[in-house]
Amino acid sequence: MKNLRKKIGSTPIVAVTGGKGGTGKSTVAVNLATGLSAEDLKVMLVDTDVDGPSCATLLGVQLEGGEEVRTFVPDIEASKCVGCRRCIEVCPEHALIGLQGKIPKLYEELCSGCKACQMVCEYKAIKDGWKKIGTVYSLIVDKVKLVVSELRPTEPRSPVMARATVMKAIEELKGDGYDVAIFDTAPGVHNAVAQPLWVADLALAVTEPTPLGTHDLKLILDLARELELPVEVVLNKADVPGGLKDELLNTCHERGIKLTAEIPLDEELLRSYIAGDPLMKKAPNSPAGKALLSLVLTIRDRLKGGEI
Amino acid sequence: MKEIVVASGKGGVGKTTIAASLAVFFAKNGVKVFTADADVDAPDLLLALGGGKKLFSMEIKASRKAEVDEDKCTGCGKCIEVCPFGAVIGPKDGKTTVVSLMCEGCGVCKLVCPVGAIEVKEAPTGTLGVEETKYGFGCATGKLRLGEHNSGHLVASVRNISRRKAQDAGSEVIIVDAAPGIGCPVIASITGADYVIAVTEPTPATKRNLERLSKVIKHFGVPAGVVINMSGYSKDFETTLKDWVVRELGFQLLGEIPVDHEVVKALVQMKPIIEFNPDAKASKALIEIAERVRGEIL
Repeated sequence: MKNLRKKIGSTPIVAVTGGKGGTGKSTVAVNLATGLSAEDLKVMLVDTDVDGPSCATLLGVQLEGGEEVRTFVPDIEASKCVGCRRCIEVCPEHALIGLQGKIPKLYEELCSGCKACQMVCEYKAIKDGWKKIGTVYSLIVDKVKLVVSELRPTEPRSPVMARATVMKAIEELKGDGYDVAIFDTAPGVHNAVAQPLWVADLALAVTEPTPLGTHDLKLILDLARELELPVEVVLNKADVPGGLKDELLNTCHERGIKLTAEIPLDEELLRSYIAGDPLMKKAPNSPAGKALLSLVLTIRDRLKGGEI
Repeated sequence: MKEIVVASGKGGVGKTTIAASLAVFFAKNGVKVFTADADVDAPDLLLALGGGKKLFSMEIKASRKAEVDEDKCTGCGKCIEVCPFGAVIGPKDGKTTVVSLMCEGCGVCKLVCPVGAIEVKEAPTGTLGVEETKYGFGCATGKLRLGEHNSGHLVASVRNISRRKAQDAGSEVIIVDAAPGIGCPVIASITGADYVIAVTEPTPATKRNLERLSKVIKHFGVPAGVVINMSGYSKDFETTLKDWVVRELGFQLLGEIPVDHEVVKALVQMKPIIEFNPDAKASKALIEIAERVRGEIL
């Protein structure tokens, strides 16, 4: 699988993922980006959690403007369509319906944009039409380039939107001398998570010491293995009262996965989260701030040493 | 029979904890309940309920994947150009390869292949099963294959089987634990349901994602109420949030659950919090919410 994952550019890509929701993926991604930038690295932060992006809010910025992301939908020219139903038969999503001799009706929300209908239409009756599936924003926050995507509510195709985001980021990375790109992912192990992992050089799996955290961590470790993507664990809320830290460490140990950082439970972190001010700036000397800085320095050194 | 979906725009805000406690509260208070874990990507409801006894499971094959016949492939690269998902790669050594993980099975590669080297074959999407929990009620679950696309289809299967089994068992309500986000699996969980419990935390990032979820809920015309979980850190923000939920979203406020480390302990013991420690602050709040749901929605 690794030899299939093409290295698209020269910029190292670190994906921040983790399986379970709410473990602190965006918090780690935002602080890593802010911290590396403070170390004079040129950083791009990409929020690929198109369902529920948080990076902009955590950086305290509003998203404005943005660029529409569109996918193909068939635009059927009534004057050319003979109602042969070839397009209906070939549509893998059953997004087109209609009777023989009639112009097909499109169920836009089902259309994946694959263009199979257009390819089979002998009468050239299908023109390119478009539907908006979301918006991608590109802005600079302090010195960090931030790329964020939002799936349009009611549009189901998160994987397509995640892929568009990854492509947009890769386009913007070209020739601009970035030292590193941080890709924050959605929770889970579905295709919208696989899209950013596909182009990454290293994944940091952020988890928490609960049975759910451990269970979902195993899933993301399995996915990383399938992709032959190097993965390391960041344990967040490490000392939560009653937590199952030992079990989690065992899981890492059994699988030979490195524990790269341990972030303690820290109210300062929650305050920075609510305030939209990364802990790296707001309270770098708090317990969680120190742990995050140590992660930043580890990643910085490995980037500088060409290890990522 | 009513279907109540527990959803949230952001992950990790407490959907599973709330769904598990609601179900157990109903079961113990004379309401016949069934559960469905519609987070097929990372199904955790059975973990929160302390596991189950497998009644049955089956493989769902709703996916399709393209395969290249290397003997026929001439490496012309037409398939690479048309693949909308970046799943066809190469040509390497004069052959192309389909990355199964990225392939949605649309078949446009097959359509353009001049030598007929590509076939689109049925492929596994995941598994579907029903288990019996120690509280007596059943739980329908699905498990999506790693990296798969077809989550909506599997969610629909989970809902179908839960409806059938709930009907057989004479259940009055199905509690559906949805996936985080607003995409395909969430839409597949919400459509046609009777009520959505939208869970949020009092943080700006979660509020924004609740707003996005509310658009989906309203689009599908399902009534909804909001539970504010892990409250108590930022009173000002919480007051604004509650006002905003009622006034801007027009959703009912079902209640709020204070931050409580007992919740983590309960998770570790794999017991719903109301079972683990009924006197905990979070349990009291949850019981109040459950009573409200029983009284006003059932």
